[in-house]
Amino acid sequence: MEQAHLKANNLYYSQENFPQHTIAGDKLGAGLSLKPEHLDDILSLPVQAPSVNHNLWFEVHTENYFVAGGPRLNYLRAVRENHNISFHGVGGSLGSDHKAMAAHTKQVKALINEFQPILVSEHAVWSKSDGKYFADLMPLPRTQDALQSLIDGVDCYQSGIGRSILIENPSNYLDFISDMDEPQFLVEAARRSGCGLLIDINNLYISSKNTGIDALNYLKQIPAELVGEIHIAGHDPDPTLGQSLLIDSHAAAVAPPVWKLLEQALGLFGHTPVLVERDANIPSFTELMKERQIAQNYLEQDKVLRNVNAAGNEVLSNE
Amino acid sequence: MNSNQYIDAFSRYLRHGDLSVMAPFCENSAHLERMAVYRNGFYKGCVDALAANFPMCEKKLGNDDFRKMARLYVDHFPPEQGTLVGYGKNFPDFIIDLLKEFEFESSDKVGLTVAQNFSADLYVNLADIAYLDYAWLMSLMSADSNETLTIEYVTDLIEQEIEFTELNVKLNPSVLLVHVKKDAFSEWISLKKNNNDAITDRSSIDVFVMLWRLQGGVQARLLSIAEVALMQALQGKGRTLGEAFDAAITLDENFEVSDAFTACLQNELLEINSN
Repeated sequence: MEQAHLKANNLYYSQENFPQHTIAGDKLGAGLSLKPEHLDDILSLPVQAPSVNHNLWFEVHTENYFVAGGPRLNYLRAVRENHNISFHGVGGSLGSDHKAMAAHTKQVKALINEFQPILVSEHAVWSKSDGKYFADLMPLPRTQDALQSLIDGVDCYQSGIGRSILIENPSNYLDFISDMDEPQFLVEAARRSGCGLLIDINNLYISSKNTGIDALNYLKQIPAELVGEIHIAGHDPDPTLGQSLLIDSHAAAVAPPVWKLLEQALGLFGHTPVLVERDANIPSFTELMKERQIAQNYLEQDKVLRNVNAAGNEVLSNE
Repeated sequence: MNSNQYIDAFSRYLRHGDLSVMAPFCENSAHLERMAVYRNGFYKGCVDALAANFPMCEKKLGNDDFRKMARLYVDHFPPEQGTLVGYGKNFPDFIIDLLKEFEFESSDKVGLTVAQNFSADLYVNLADIAYLDYAWLMSLMSADSNETLTIEYVTDLIEQEIEFTELNVKLNPSVLLVHVKKDAFSEWISLKKNNNDAITDRSSIDVFVMLWRLQGGVQARLLSIAEVALMQALQGKGRTLGEAFDAAITLDENFEVSDAFTACLQNELLEINSN
């Protein structure tokens, strides 16, 4: 994807103030969640082996690095020497309780200054209320005042860190009374705040199964120029309710329908960095790299298709 | 619908489990029970973090009892920062209060399987082990030293005939002192080393344990009374080395200053105080 050109109608921010969220997306291939278990494998990867590790990058949960010093930061420094990294926040609570946002973003900004992540993202959810942090990603009701609260939260966050972010669609397990559908809600938040979108395909798949929405129609409502990153991951059926309720576990391999949906998303959005997330039942690095290679193949297939289309158009125009 | 009301109700549900408060906000009442996914996620995230931050406590108590105790802690002290790194600062004190409550009421409010027997090994030393776990974590994540006092630096001072005992130094940020029972420290070490030896030393002597980070790993050792005086003198704003040595010698006139200073340098405990 080329540098994004946001067509925001009601920007809170001057685009000159923040670097764009998509930083030469074509340079990024498929990435992996950075897990401590894999550090030795990652640090022993050949540095100059683009054919093996083509554009490999790693994503971390930003808050896991809210430490003053020590080995955790040193490991991240070592990984950063040879790979791009992305910061994915889980504790910003963009949709609520913005009072403590400044203290939170101060720590994020310090990490950004040191590690220069290629992407910074958060979730379009709430997780704090009345000074308490609920350590999970709770969906917002899609109402006008919740939308304004989310925009205010993105405003605080972006102002705090001095650059624009991507916000991720949540996993939905049930529907709350709302005024608009999720694509409308997210696109409006992005347009009015100047942020971009991180589309989590697994979350979308889960939401479609749990609440009956049309996943492809959802994707078609998202303007490609807003999308700066895609996530894919595994899910599991609820232990009690079974397949009628899918849980965003990140504890299993990516399911076939999620791969299919990824292919459709890339067809709509064009080349977009794809992250394979894994947070539990962590397999070997080799196993995860195989899964990552599937995502990389989808990206390269997308590139081939786009080149073919471009060539075809050129022939047509010559005629 | 006002989103503040929604978040207030959601928060009440997460904290107290009363589903009815969420009914006005749900599109399909048949799906209301699915709210449990969020409550389970909240507790699981917090309890997993406590298990990670208090690993020897968990090992001592066993996974089931630890998780019951941890869940109770989450009810009393939910996280307040947007991160679970370092969550559980009050957990050791919470254990003390909880065990006092059990003892006083002779009852088991949380269904811990061994709560009926307070003299059981499972409760002895538990709070001290929690203090040691947390100090270990804090040492691991502490700031890096700005300017470590090295053997080479001291050698240079001596060669330049500068009196190094007048050098102002302080402990590096990873050095922490913890006041616990001696047998609690022995048990904590035993748990860390996966020794299954029964606790034979029932010593109730209070000791100071020093934890510090060296080359990415956290070290721990018991301190003598003179070593405690030395380290306490160097805590905070620090002092001259001479003043710190005097503090140790005052308590033990046979204190081997040279050995202690060499050990401090080898373990990178000291940093030059630029203030």
